[in-house]
Amino acid sequence: MRNNEQAMLEVRNLHVTVAGKAILKGVNLEVRAGEVHAIMGPNGAGKSTLGNVIAGREGYEVTAGEVRFRGRNLLELSPEERACEGVFLAFQYPVEIPGVNNTYFLRAALNAQRKYRGLPELDSIEFLRLVREKLEILHISDDLLHRAVNEGFSGGEKKRNEIFQMAVLEPTLAILDETDSGLDIDALRLVAEGVNRLRSSDRAIIVITHYQRLLEYIVPDKVHVLADGRIAASGDAELAIKLEEQGYTWLEQGGIASLQQRASA
Amino acid sequence: MHAVATTNGTGWLPSLRAAAARELLKNGLPGNKDEAWKYTSLRRLEQLREIDGKPTVASAAADAQDWNTPLAGFEGYGFGFRCGSLHWLEQAAPEGVILSTFRDAVTGLMDDGHERLRRMLEAVDFSGRSRAFAALNTALLDQGVVIHVAAGVDGGTCLAQWAQADGRISRLANFRLIVLLEEGARLNLLEQHLSMQGQVAVEPPSSSGGQGLNLVMQADLGKNAQLHHFRVQQDADNSVLLTFSDVYQAADSTYTYAGIDIGGGLVRHDLYCRLAGPGARAELNGAFVLDGERLVDHHICVDHEAPACSSEQFFRGVLGGSSRGVFNGKALIRPGADGSRVRQSNANLLLSDLAEMDTKPELEIYADEVEASHGATVGQLDEQAVFYLRSRGLAKADARRMLTTAFCRAVSSRISDLALGEQIAGLLDAAVSGLNIVEENSNAA
Repeated sequence: MRNNEQAMLEVRNLHVTVAGKAILKGVNLEVRAGEVHAIMGPNGAGKSTLGNVIAGREGYEVTAGEVRFRGRNLLELSPEERACEGVFLAFQYPVEIPGVNNTYFLRAALNAQRKYRGLPELDSIEFLRLVREKLEILHISDDLLHRAVNEGFSGGEKKRNEIFQMAVLEPTLAILDETDSGLDIDALRLVAEGVNRLRSSDRAIIVITHYQRLLEYIVPDKVHVLADGRIAASGDAELAIKLEEQGYTWLEQGGIASLQQRASA
Repeated sequence: MHAVATTNGTGWLPSLRAAAARELLKNGLPGNKDEAWKYTSLRRLEQLREIDGKPTVASAAADAQDWNTPLAGFEGYGFGFRCGSLHWLEQAAPEGVILSTFRDAVTGLMDDGHERLRRMLEAVDFSGRSRAFAALNTALLDQGVVIHVAAGVDGGTCLAQWAQADGRISRLANFRLIVLLEEGARLNLLEQHLSMQGQVAVEPPSSSGGQGLNLVMQADLGKNAQLHHFRVQQDADNSVLLTFSDVYQAADSTYTYAGIDIGGGLVRHDLYCRLAGPGARAELNGAFVLDGERLVDHHICVDHEAPACSSEQFFRGVLGGSSRGVFNGKALIRPGADGSRVRQSNANLLLSDLAEMDTKPELEIYADEVEASHGATVGQLDEQAVFYLRSRGLAKADARRMLTTAFCRAVSSRISDLALGEQIAGLLDAAVSGLNIVEENSNAA
């Protein structure tokens, strides 16, 4: 399990189509335990598709390639099995679920995962203790607990709720799909705080983002640029800064080659 | 078999019954050519061989006070109409509340209330084929209960239970419930319909089955009176339940209805609210969870006669198996009923390809400054929401059940009595749990 030689997540030659249209055209990615990866790229590059395919959303057809998570073929698992195995996707657009209480839902989810792993389920008192602890760490108001899942939440509140769920579920692999978009600086710090607290030697995090801004608070180990369905460039945190300065158009003008040369030098 | 009340100058009653019988015989029963019955087949009625008649279960069994009711812990006075015979519950009615049989009430026990009762009985519209069951109920007027709450009295909770043995009894029972609330009076009416499973029928089972009840409820609400009417219907699969609730509301009175249908074979609820005095308010909430071949039909009309009244219709339906649902909710705002507020919402979830829902909200507005909104939907579970829940670890069936339960609970959460709301929510949850919630094989993990 703790063999750092083997990547936690291995994406090999992943080809995905949506409604017959090729979106991912051969993505290769290795994420090891303890690492934080950032995936950047222009709109429509396929960033969210990658996150959704890993989480198991329907409507995506994998036409070639594979995704392995801790040695298991992730693509043959249902979304709930993937979650129970420790995969978490913070949604770009969290879904509003009227009538389902946030606390009730999260406890059911956590207990489903604990049951899957052979752990005893938490009763409501134990669960509430856990939840209050996480809220305090993240400086989130507890009125979140009494509301229906995301119902009537502002954009910022929805993203906070995603981070809160992540903190409670403590996934092995967390994927944040543009969690930073549309957030003010305080909310951005909160997201960063949530991610940084989750960082540990046996977890991995993938941050999908359009902007470099979030990466000022979450310093990634690796940065990848996804363009036109492929990883066009990979580098360290400096790549993100370069992208921010130059914009994505710079990529298409030979910028990648120069960066890759620098990285390998 | 029917006792005919002829004493104390109640000659008007036989005349009324005869008129209703003539109307019924002239028109016959409604069919699919009648707009109000277009989607609701009465074929199940053909199983019923007899109307009214003698009690069907040995009296000792029907007498039992420890009779199981779906709503545990709700103490109250009231009555049970079990297998054709009427029983009073042990608890006495509070001061200011009179509970009497229909027969006693019409033969003068209610003194000055007598004329009012007569006017009420005569006011029931049984003309035309679509009102055939009101005609039938009037033609056979005999079994019933009258509840009277004096001015300013809080009548507490009155339980009204209807049950038939779950044998194959081929009988349609008729019952009239009359609720009279004087000015400022208040009453919770907790109505329950269920089958007495395991009770042995006196008669040998016939080859065709079914139990039936044709219930007419008339409520007369004085100024500022409040009637909170709850209905839990858990009848057996082969049963027929036809209800007609006719509610008259004076100024500033409140009628709330919260009904759930989680059983029954053929169920038809007709509900007519007449907002006759300014400031009257009607709030109607209902949910049904259907599977198998069940059919539940709501036909509602809220009649805004007076100005500044408000009404709301909020109904939710969940349909599995090859069940059918019908909703026809009408609000009529008459000339002069200015400043009326009307809201209507009907949403339905189809969990199976074989289930069918027909919904028709109707607004007819002839007044000024009316605030009105209405909406009706028939759809499936939101797959985005299902995925969201699954992505957090919930199995597909659990995710679907959680969403379906929440959909129904939108109705029970509107019940202001929290304890009762929670019980009703629990019954809805249990009904949802009993549904085949995932069409294809679910993933056990």
